[in-house]
Amino acid sequence: MSTVTPATDVAPAASAVVDGPADETRRIARSRRSARKTRAAALKAVLVVLLLAFTLFPAFWMLSSAFDAKAGTGGQTLLPREFTFDNFAYVLTEGGFDVFLRNSAIVALVTVLASALLALLASVAVARFRFRSRTAILLMILIVQMVPLEALVIPLFVQVRDLGLLNTLLGLMVVYVALSLPFGIWMLRGFVAAVPVELEEAAYIDGASWGRMFRSVLLPLVMPGLVATSVFSFITAWNEFIFAMTLLGGASENYTVAIGLKQFFGEHTNEWGYIMAASTIITIPVMIFFVIVQRRLSAGLVAGAVKG
Amino acid sequence: MTSTIQVPTSARGAESPRAGGGPVQRRSPITRLRPWLLLAPALAVLAVLLLWPLVRVFLFSLQDYGLREIVSGEPNWIGIDNYLEVFTDPTLWTVVLPNTVGFAVLAVAGTVALGTAVAVLMASLGPFWRTIVGSAIMIAWAMPAVTGTYVWVWIFDADRGIFNETLQALGLQDEPVNWFTNRYTFYAIVLLNVVHHGFPFVAITILAGLLGVPKEMLEAAEMDGAGPWRRFWRIIVPNLKQVFAVVIILSTIWDFKVFAQVYLMPGGSGSNREALNLGVWSYVESFGQNRYGFGSAIAVLLTLVLLAITVVYVRTMLKEEEL
Repeated sequence: MSTVTPATDVAPAASAVVDGPADETRRIARSRRSARKTRAAALKAVLVVLLLAFTLFPAFWMLSSAFDAKAGTGGQTLLPREFTFDNFAYVLTEGGFDVFLRNSAIVALVTVLASALLALLASVAVARFRFRSRTAILLMILIVQMVPLEALVIPLFVQVRDLGLLNTLLGLMVVYVALSLPFGIWMLRGFVAAVPVELEEAAYIDGASWGRMFRSVLLPLVMPGLVATSVFSFITAWNEFIFAMTLLGGASENYTVAIGLKQFFGEHTNEWGYIMAASTIITIPVMIFFVIVQRRLSAGLVAGAVKG
Repeated sequence: MTSTIQVPTSARGAESPRAGGGPVQRRSPITRLRPWLLLAPALAVLAVLLLWPLVRVFLFSLQDYGLREIVSGEPNWIGIDNYLEVFTDPTLWTVVLPNTVGFAVLAVAGTVALGTAVAVLMASLGPFWRTIVGSAIMIAWAMPAVTGTYVWVWIFDADRGIFNETLQALGLQDEPVNWFTNRYTFYAIVLLNVVHHGFPFVAITILAGLLGVPKEMLEAAEMDGAGPWRRFWRIIVPNLKQVFAVVIILSTIWDFKVFAQVYLMPGGSGSNREALNLGVWSYVESFGQNRYGFGSAIAVLLTLVLLAITVVYVRTMLKEEEL
């Protein structure tokens, strides 16, 4: 870690010894420097290995247990002793995860579509127009993201109950749209602002109305941002736990994947093979989507605060 | 995935929205109303589902709000009694606050320290290894909180978890220890979970900042004989002050409201009173004891704490750019 400038060579292999008949002192200096380099490279290699082990172990352990026929019987080894797909088969049939996956997919899809539409319209308003209370609205959107879900869950539980939507997926979708909206607006606003105003003006000069300009100029250009935002709302809806647990409490046929896991926890024993197989199934779509949006996500979270 | 954060594409370059937005000359009423028409649906949803509930949780906190009140809808005002009860409850001072604040401090310090170290390490790697490390930490980041927590619970499981089995195999302990019953080991596991899940964001964000620090500056410092430690504190940290501020504040906000990571652990859902934090306490009082008013009062306190941190955050952001 001695240099901050990117060293091209991090392979743990020792760097080649300097050759050729060189001036004695220069040779010593060079070999000393190369020794230091070797040590730095070795240290770096060790750090990278430790980091990878720490970072990947939980995911690895989840997979290993999911494929192990004897997971949870004790004496587990790093790799499954008896490789099997039975855990997955059980989870997807008798475990009820076929239903939970469908529920989660429906909830996530509706959440994504609704919040993408609302966020797009709102973000155009705050990015392209100057109007009174614009700053106030932006501040509100920023602040409302920080509100803890534990504070919202009590009044929203009462509200959803009054509407007779407890134990239904609809109640959950409505809540998720609201939860993913502030961040969606915040993030899309950046994408909309990045579209050069000149392009819009060109469209107007060509005689386009505002609606036409929106459809033919703005929308295609912010598409990547819309995809990124949608993936984010998907992840929110897919992972959310506290509202699903509270609003769906009694209706296990309407469970989403995040709370479906609970049923594998017994009074005395937990079916770890099933739990890990189900966790794997839940995690995979999130990982795929996460990789897609990773850059946008971190950019959106710190939008405006990171100097290039 | 080397993650040059696409510097908020946003704002900077194109942030010169023309007044009115629409075609230049025509400023019809519809043009003036357009932003509000565009905003209306989103604002309506936010008002009904986020702002009104916030008002309501405050109103609940001033009532003795239980199942009866939920069913009848009748208010039952008791003033600030709930708050008095919260503040006189020894649980708050001996268990809940230390668990919430102490944990947040440790978690933020751990997350930011590890994230920064990883960012510095990644910056010194070549493209190939940087991609490998970047992908690995992405996996840790992407792991949902729920499944991630279950995996940690499984690792530390009392009877058959690999942690206990390894310790026993090494002869470090004679019989399995239940790490979830003791308050400190309980939170040590939560800490591990939260840091593991939280450091990738810090690392990626700081890496993006690091790559933006002018190389000439660092080389000049090296010429002048500044060691790596000194270069880090004297050049990188001051250059990235803004990035560090944002990362620290965001982590603080997230670590104050850990819920699933505590609730899903054995005993975390209220049966082990020693393990309560503000969020879990509020939830358990509300939905476990049907004391929604009391739970709301706790939730309001949590919200106020977060709001205070958020104000700092917003001010930090405002320094940087015009909204």
